Amino acid sequence: MLPTPGLPSFDYIQPASPADVTKMLLKHDGDARLFMGGTDVFVRMRDGFITPKFLIDVKRLPGMTAIKFTKRAGLTIGAGASMNAIARHPAVVEHYPILAQAIDSVASYQLRTRATMGGNLCNASPAADTAPAAIVLGANLVLYGRRGERVVPAEKFFLAPGKTALKPGEFLLRIEISPLPKGAVGKYMKLGRNAHGDLAIVGVAVLGYPDKRAKSGYAFRIALASVAPTPIRSPQAESVLMSSPITPEVIARAATAAMETAQPISDVRSSAEYRRAMVKTLTRRALEAVVDLMHGT
Amino acid sequence: MTQIIGESIPRVDAVDKVTGAAKFADDMQFGPGLLYGRLVRSPHAHALVKKIDARDALALPGVKAIATGADTPGYIGLYLQDRHIFATDRVRYIGDPVAGVVATSEEIAEQAVKLVEVEYEILPAVTDPLDAIKPDAPLLHPDLGKYTVANFIFPKPGTNISNHFKVRKGDAEKGFAQCDVIVEGEFRVPQIQHVPIEPHIAVAQAEQSGKITLWASSQSPFAQRNLIAKALDMSQGDLRVIAPYIGGGFGSKAGVSMEACAVVMAMKVQGRPVKLRLTREEEFFTTFVRQGLVARTKIGAKKEGKLVAMKTEYYWDAGAYTEYGVNMTRAGGYSSTGPYEIPNVHADSYCCYTNHPVGGPMRGFGMPEIHWGIEQLMDQLAEKLEMDPRAFRLKNCLKTDSDVVTGWKMHPIKLDECIEKAAAAIDWGKKESASAPHKKRGKGLAIMWKAPAMPPNAGSSSYVRLNEDATITVGLGGQEIGQGTHTVMAQMAAAALGVPVSWIRIATPVDTLYSPYEWQTVASRLTWSMGNAVVAAAKHARQQILELVAEHWNEKVQDLDIKDGNVISYKSEQSLPLHDMVVYGLPKEGDCGWRGGPIVGRGNFMPTYVTGLDPETGQGPRAVVHYTVGCQAVDLEVDTETGQIEILRVAAAFDVGKAINPDQVRAQMEGGVVQGASSAIFEKLDLREGKPRNASFVDYRIATSVDMPHKIIPIIVEEPQDDGPWGARGIGEHAMVPTAPAIANAVYNAVGIRLPSMPLSAERVFLAMQEK
Repeated sequence: MLPTPGLPSFDYIQPASPADVTKMLLKHDGDARLFMGGTDVFVRMRDGFITPKFLIDVKRLPGMTAIKFTKRAGLTIGAGASMNAIARHPAVVEHYPILAQAIDSVASYQLRTRATMGGNLCNASPAADTAPAAIVLGANLVLYGRRGERVVPAEKFFLAPGKTALKPGEFLLRIEISPLPKGAVGKYMKLGRNAHGDLAIVGVAVLGYPDKRAKSGYAFRIALASVAPTPIRSPQAESVLMSSPITPEVIARAATAAMETAQPISDVRSSAEYRRAMVKTLTRRALEAVVDLMHGT
Repeated sequence: MTQIIGESIPRVDAVDKVTGAAKFADDMQFGPGLLYGRLVRSPHAHALVKKIDARDALALPGVKAIATGADTPGYIGLYLQDRHIFATDRVRYIGDPVAGVVATSEEIAEQAVKLVEVEYEILPAVTDPLDAIKPDAPLLHPDLGKYTVANFIFPKPGTNISNHFKVRKGDAEKGFAQCDVIVEGEFRVPQIQHVPIEPHIAVAQAEQSGKITLWASSQSPFAQRNLIAKALDMSQGDLRVIAPYIGGGFGSKAGVSMEACAVVMAMKVQGRPVKLRLTREEEFFTTFVRQGLVARTKIGAKKEGKLVAMKTEYYWDAGAYTEYGVNMTRAGGYSSTGPYEIPNVHADSYCCYTNHPVGGPMRGFGMPEIHWGIEQLMDQLAEKLEMDPRAFRLKNCLKTDSDVVTGWKMHPIKLDECIEKAAAAIDWGKKESASAPHKKRGKGLAIMWKAPAMPPNAGSSSYVRLNEDATITVGLGGQEIGQGTHTVMAQMAAAALGVPVSWIRIATPVDTLYSPYEWQTVASRLTWSMGNAVVAAAKHARQQILELVAEHWNEKVQDLDIKDGNVISYKSEQSLPLHDMVVYGLPKEGDCGWRGGPIVGRGNFMPTYVTGLDPETGQGPRAVVHYTVGCQAVDLEVDTETGQIEILRVAAAFDVGKAINPDQVRAQMEGGVVQGASSAIFEKLDLREGKPRNASFVDYRIATSVDMPHKIIPIIVEEPQDDGPWGARGIGEHAMVPTAPAIANAVYNAVGIRLPSMPLSAERVFLAMQEK
């Protein structure tokens, strides 16, 4: 009924290579969990939701905490890089500020020194703040498993609450984000019950960039957190913005379309009714912010 | 000599707390013999306990003992003894302790908890006070009529009402008939939690001799000693409670809750200390919560704006045990009108048992709850009368010599000055624009009163002991719970004695074996009550010193004084430093002996003038010791697209009689505003069928620094209290009382919506705006 003091006992494993990780995961199928910052795993173990017998610490694998950027290849984030390290990285600040915004909305600074973006994505919470940012940035997740590496786009990674495209024995190595289209700007907006530190009632990520093929002259990507079983994109809202010149009226229509994409539930944090309304408010505000930024650049 | 009283000297506990030197209960070391306890708790809101089988748990290696209700069949409680330490035949809320496991580690104890098999017979639960009073409601306490109860509490045996406080003043019915304008409403206040930084913790050790020591994070070491000793039928002299620094209490660590469990568990393993500490999740619903309230109130006035009549029913959702809560409902009754002069009052305050967490004291003790409805109705009344809320309150609020609801004449107060100053501080009456087109700005205010709610004869005592170098050890029994009381006591002792405040040492930790008696650290009573005791002790010491020196100089006591640590004579203009003589005395002339001896002053204080009230009318000569009054004015913005409230300014003006340490007074106002705003906007223990849905910081949100009002303007008003030290009254709780209704009134002013229940969460405000 209640969380109990301390943690249940478990074995701590620190494998030397990705292949070892896969081997361990397969060997202890169901009894093993990957361990990065521990900000989620430990809490859920204490709460009695999960009882892994083995924690496999993948942070020390080569390259797992590295953050690299080149103008040609874009950004590569090791799955074990801490949120604070990512959000303060000069390349993130300069080229992908929306990612820093999403990260800085998570819990507290202290927690983000341990928490990782890789863990945030792999937990597959519908409310994960970095997920909608990863989706609109077109992030690719590089997974490692029995057959070596494979790549899954962030948008296809989330299957259900707590469920991802990871197959048995697979784990996340790194997150790759290509250089963004020229002139792209983004905004992450989040609403919690109080100003900072809460889980998202609604999170909205918007990325916009000039696109000659679009009637409006701009293309947009919109992703939503906490309003469906997984983080989702709103193609309906995006297409509204592609097809007509960007006016306040069109932005409002797109916000309504985003609201209609959402399939929220009512829970202890918010009613579905409020969540829907807030998708509209936040989408509109994020779009306005992005349009302002695009015109400013 | 520098002035001491009215000076904002730094806190005496600041360095220890900032450097980490301050020891809290969990910091104390008990060596390898320390055992740990965990509690088996009821998973049911209401059930009979049919059988407890602890055999498997006892067989687990590392488990030393298991305590159950069979070990302590008696009752415990402050005003109404309605509670068992461990459940005997019945559990009444989710979390009710059924057994306590003692083991060599917390983990083993917790494993053993899961092995204790308890057979329950589930009973229908009562989860709303309005259901509790129905004639066919399941009875939570069939033995209510047999419980020991204080003579000012009136239980109704055979019902779920454990106290009924009545006011029948004037003729409310006739009064309403004369009214031109009447407003009424039903208001609800949810259970909330104190959330002190330090969860409850207790360590107990019982000896074969029968002596027991309890170390606890406690606001009430003496009350705990008394209540636990009584429940265990042992001598108060054999129970020693040691109370180190405490990481916040707000009322949750007053009276007794889990501490008694630790003592009973320790009695099963004599000679070894047992540590029991609650998890944060347990903290939310297994000790005390602020009880819920359903208020049905009707108020009427004449068209010129004068209040005439009030009828109110307060149904307190007091939880499973009301041993402490009965007195909140009494306070709600004798303060039922709020700080207004109303000639005709018909008030009923019912303490209702429910299968909810135990309602207990929390900052303000019944007052934030009743003022939530009263102050919103007063605004509605003012609106109907087309009067400004400020002017309406100035016209009707209590003033010196006003008729108080219980038939007393109000002592000197300056509530009107508080209203004027708080309103002026936020530019009341000036329309100001919002910061963005989607925001609306509003201003609102609320006033309050609160008396220390306590037995009529709650006492304080103190000693003042002089050391060789004339530093002074001040013994007291009140706890430093963050409010700064030890600093204020040091100031008072120094001023009363005539020495620099830096010479004072407060004797901590409070230890019932050595410290002088103090009833409890509650009710904002220490500055006034313990202050009086400390002053009396200091004066007693001073008198001894003056008599000694008068004899030495062959002068009269009345010609002498102590200034800045020296005895001086206004007559002979001699001067003598205090050091040495306050311990060794002074030599007689000609080396023929000595006079004097180690100086120890003693003092006590107990109000002797509080009378009983007529149980049928609530009328009597003097219901309380005094009231502290005040006003808060709020300037805020509401985001019309999200419902979020952003508080721009709060002015808090309180009549504290005399601010002994003005910075600390202002800090109490600021803290009360923040906690009040947090309760108004964020907080609610979400109970469904008695089960808390948000018993953790993940889903029980409280205001953080970024949620605070942008600006808090504390204003000190001083109309001296006749029996307060230097005229001082308490201010620890009061600023929490009017915050929520002032915010509600400002929200109405901004966007025209009123929510009859707290909290004014963004969601509820937004949805209410949509409905409008």
